[in-house]
Amino acid sequence: MRWLLSFLLLGLLSVVQAVSSSGNKLLVVLEDLAEKSKYSKYIADLEGRGFSINYESPKSDKVALFELGERAYDHVLLLPTKAKGLGPALTPKLLLDFINAGGNILLTLSSSNPTPTSLVSLLLELDIHLPTDRNALVVDHFNYDTLSAAEKHDVVLVPRPDAIRPDVKNFFRGDGKGGDVIAFPRGVPQELGNTSPLLTPILRAPRTAYSYNPKDEGEAAEDPFGAGPQLSLITTMQARNSARFTVIGSAELLEDAWFDAKVKRSVGLGGVGTDAKSVKTANQAFAAEVTGWTFNEIGVLKVGKIEHYLNEAGVKSNITNPKIYRVKNDVTYEIEISEYSWDKWVPFTPQAGDVVQLEFSMLSPFHRLPLTPTTTTKNSTIYTTSFRLPDQHGIFNFKVNHKRPFLSNLEEKNTVTVRHFAHDEWPRSWVISGAWPWIAGIGATITGWVAFVALWLWSKPVPLKLTTSGKKIQ
Amino acid sequence: MAPKRTAREPTPSAATTQASSTASVPAIPTKASLKAKDNQSPQEVALGIWQNYLDTTPQRTKLIDVFMSFLVVVGVLQFVYCVVAGNYPFNAFLSGFSSTVGQFVLTASLRIQTNGENKADFGELSPERAFADFVFGSLILHLFCINFIN
Repeated sequence: MRWLLSFLLLGLLSVVQAVSSSGNKLLVVLEDLAEKSKYSKYIADLEGRGFSINYESPKSDKVALFELGERAYDHVLLLPTKAKGLGPALTPKLLLDFINAGGNILLTLSSSNPTPTSLVSLLLELDIHLPTDRNALVVDHFNYDTLSAAEKHDVVLVPRPDAIRPDVKNFFRGDGKGGDVIAFPRGVPQELGNTSPLLTPILRAPRTAYSYNPKDEGEAAEDPFGAGPQLSLITTMQARNSARFTVIGSAELLEDAWFDAKVKRSVGLGGVGTDAKSVKTANQAFAAEVTGWTFNEIGVLKVGKIEHYLNEAGVKSNITNPKIYRVKNDVTYEIEISEYSWDKWVPFTPQAGDVVQLEFSMLSPFHRLPLTPTTTTKNSTIYTTSFRLPDQHGIFNFKVNHKRPFLSNLEEKNTVTVRHFAHDEWPRSWVISGAWPWIAGIGATITGWVAFVALWLWSKPVPLKLTTSGKKIQ
Repeated sequence: MAPKRTAREPTPSAATTQASSTASVPAIPTKASLKAKDNQSPQEVALGIWQNYLDTTPQRTKLIDVFMSFLVVVGVLQFVYCVVAGNYPFNAFLSGFSSTVGQFVLTASLRIQTNGENKADFGELSPERAFADFVFGSLILHLFCINFIN
């Protein structure tokens, strides 16, 4: 009876709580438990979304990302520490192993606490570069908060980011009305390498921002680490296994103080914001979106059932997913795709201008076709395409390879054999009118032969009269 | 084909011998010019050969020759059609044309084997046996061609 009750409770619990699509075990690494109070609202948000949080100090003996070779947590949040290193339990190697095992990491940096060298090398491994000055931060003389940083200009105010490309879904636009302001106080800028296709910045620095070391004595920054949109303030890396890694340049962004703060922007370039009013920051909502994306609460795709079947002359075959087709068969392919949105699976729709594609490939694609949504169920969209198989036999793959920024990777491969025509599947010769002359040719030959044989058998061999005149001629 | 060829081949040679003889009238008489002294026109030569063919060829060999010339006509028609109208479907062309050519080859073999003048080469082989081989080979050829044209 008791186990029944506990099961019931468990069921209720899972129904009530919204939970990330990849588990709710979250490890928060912070130096001192007392620091927790600084982030109380942020942590309350996380708990409200169903995460079960463990707090550990990097120095603690108990902190371990793996237990018996398996991931001990689904997600890790690293808050800044004063220590120079993170200790043996959080080496770059272990953190990368954690990503490779499918875990998500949210890393926060702070200019007041120099980033530990182990984290710098972890970021270098991912082609994310931090300023060489340990204290560098982002400064902008045109987009700073006049209320809190009138002197130092180191609280940069940024609007919500646009989509990085028009055909990429923007998960970080809030309600989309615009006018939101994100306060980015004393953040560490990052520069992204050009070679990694896995890196995508969420938030870039404004055009007038630059990296500045406050320890520098000079009036003006000479030879800054970077400037303008070259600097990324919040960077994401989605690994090939769809594990997510996010760097937030400013841990202060998550603090209660900046969730509630009122900010008033300075006068920007071209007199923008001369009549600015003091507004509340959008940090809380924005932090929730960034964290939600990192911890697989949004932008996660899932493939349901995949079906392909023979569809000759509009008649659907009863056999689904056969292992073998013939060249030039008419085939229909269906794939069911869902997207996770905070607490439920919803039908997936690609951004306008983007399309889900099917490749029919042997080594290289013979067809690359757009999949069109045909049916929408409560929590999935079914994409379909019909096509004629190429005139080439061999081993082919139905392949859906959907890799887009901010969406988890889909790579679905279904292998089928495509055989050539069987001997009795070709059209008969008399069906093809072009063959008629040659059918007539065979007919004439055979008829002539029959007549010849008949005549031969009917005729009597006549003995040869060899005349002398005949011999003369020869 | 066979009678025509035999009829045609001497014709150009006769023409050339004539041409050479006219060109080299004052020169030393060659063997060819000596032969051409019979003063036969090419028409007469051809007619003579034809008459000789009619006289000396057995009736069955004539029958074979008629059949072979019929095959040549059918084969040429098929080939010309292929050149003019294109070779789609190619297997039909191959099978139609090869049936005619194959039949021609088999018939030519029959002609060689049943010719009385070739008795020395085919002493063991009776004309009946040669004819049976011919029928057997032709049947296989026809079956192959019908199967191949589908």
